[in-house]
Amino acid sequence: MSKVASRPDWADDEELDDTINDTTLPQQTITTNKDGTKTIISYRLNDDGKKVKTTRRIRFTTHKEVVNPRVAERKQWAKFGLSAKDGAGPASDTTSVGENIIFRPSTNWRKDAKEEKTEAGSMKDKLKDKKVKCRICNGEHFTARCPFKDTMAPVGEEGSADVAAGPADAVEGPGGLGSGKSSYVPPHMRNGAAASGGDRMGGGKYERNDESTLRVTNVSEMAEEQELRDMFERFGRVTRVFLAKDRETGLAKGFAFISFQERTDAAKACEKMDGYGFKHLILRVEFAKKAA
Amino acid sequence: MRPILLQGHERALTQIKYNRDGDIIFSTAKDQHICAWFAHNGERLGTYHGHQGALWTVDVDPTSTLIASGAADNTVRLWEIRSGKCLKVWEFNTAVKRVEFNEDGSQLLAVTEKRMGFLGTIEVMDINLDPEAEQSDEKVLTITCEESKATVAGWSYLSKYIIAGHEDGTVSQYDAKTGEQLDNTQIHEPDMPITDLQWSADRTYFITASKDKTAKLINVQDLEVMKTYVADTPLNSASITPKKDFVILGGGQDAMGVTQTDARQGKFEARFYHKVFAEEIGRVRGHFGPLNSVAVDPTGKSYASGGEDGYVRVHQFDKGYFDFTYEVERQAKAQGQM
Repeated sequence: MSKVASRPDWADDEELDDTINDTTLPQQTITTNKDGTKTIISYRLNDDGKKVKTTRRIRFTTHKEVVNPRVAERKQWAKFGLSAKDGAGPASDTTSVGENIIFRPSTNWRKDAKEEKTEAGSMKDKLKDKKVKCRICNGEHFTARCPFKDTMAPVGEEGSADVAAGPADAVEGPGGLGSGKSSYVPPHMRNGAAASGGDRMGGGKYERNDESTLRVTNVSEMAEEQELRDMFERFGRVTRVFLAKDRETGLAKGFAFISFQERTDAAKACEKMDGYGFKHLILRVEFAKKAA
Repeated sequence: MRPILLQGHERALTQIKYNRDGDIIFSTAKDQHICAWFAHNGERLGTYHGHQGALWTVDVDPTSTLIASGAADNTVRLWEIRSGKCLKVWEFNTAVKRVEFNEDGSQLLAVTEKRMGFLGTIEVMDINLDPEAEQSDEKVLTITCEESKATVAGWSYLSKYIIAGHEDGTVSQYDAKTGEQLDNTQIHEPDMPITDLQWSADRTYFITASKDKTAKLINVQDLEVMKTYVADTPLNSASITPKKDFVILGGGQDAMGVTQTDARQGKFEARFYHKVFAEEIGRVRGHFGPLNSVAVDPTGKSYASGGEDGYVRVHQFDKGYFDFTYEVERQAKAQGQM
């Protein structure tokens, strides 16, 4: 019974078919598995009086801490007030664990945060300094509102070779149409868009940037993501570290991906870290192949 | 780091306190009980019931046997930590906004509100730390704040002075024996109330937080402002971290305007500043409302923040926090070793 043919998830409720009326429940059985985890099979009756078997696979990690005797004594205190009925350990209704927060103090903290922000607000910033300019009389109003709309033709229409048209178009700046021609120009072909727009797309935090991602192989199974991050961060800003880990044992599988903000940094890191000895193994670092 | 969320209160938190060993956290909120929590895993030890109004403040004595609490029901109560029993009730004319034990736990001060024709006062009671003993009714000392009511107060080193922060942004220094006012200095912007006052480990200097969006590090002896930390939002709380030279500030847009903004704009973050360089080094997000109280574990391993959202979030610092040093600090250390 301890070995179920199709392996269940780590905590599965199985409803047993037998609706026998006897309320004697089998004893809880605990078996130790080869990989150090424990399988606990317990039985209980659910609301309908059906017997429910719960199989849980749990790994115990012992974390020892030396504390002051006063503190140790206080941990034995009986609970009281609203918590009087709670069992040992944190009660699920009052205590929960929040999502992981990455907090790394840094002096250029503000700069890092600002970079992310400017990406979002860059268009607004660019447009802030722009002034409305009439194409007919160069006044500060829309062309459609120009008092000379009916009497004069737009400046550009007299010929794009016209000297006056040149600077007028240049003022339009990034995001404006190419060179005063009225044909549609897709955003990525427009003036100035190539530089600013391109970055913005690739700079997203979760966007995989294979251009500047390194594949690191022959990583020790004891490695931690943080260690890798620390090692690679000295070459430039690391945007993502992924260390493949075994779901059950929590040990590293031996390969990792490191994404850099800049490809030049990645190249430098690739050159320096290939063949670097880390935890008794020699790292192999190469550029990640583009996903097919 | 993974914060532990404590949901023991139904209303906005008002104060959080660690005991001296840093293993128990006490929290008060505008609902009518105090919660005690184990700091290492967030397990609730118990709750203290008896107050009939919103709780404003709590403090633990240095031996972790008693706590005192002040509430809007015009009382200060003394409780035994272990059992949750109320040992003593002191009645006042108005709500009690702040209580604090002195360094050896022999005296307790209480700051009362200015209301209903009564002026704001700071009252001092003698405390017997034995939970079995009878506590005296007598108020040993009463300091009346005639100009501007005190919002926060605390005991300096050796219980020599009582330092109070006022509603008008001034800080005053009283003789803790006689109650005589020795000094009164305009520290924060005029008419910007001081919202919090917390001590360094040796109580020779303290940090104040104010609605004027700054926190200041002040010397007890002459009330000299040593450092100013500038934030971009009104502050409700400030705390000095032991072990590392940081300060943590908590605040956010006023409770009234909270519903009109999202969490990002409301600036509901705990801000970390370097204590000496007065430079912001990071923020911790998580609350859905302004931070009303920030407290640091006296052993320096964790900090807790309580928000208007009714949650307490306990954060155990991880390695990156302890490893962080300025370039000059590293250089100084390297030279010292040579």
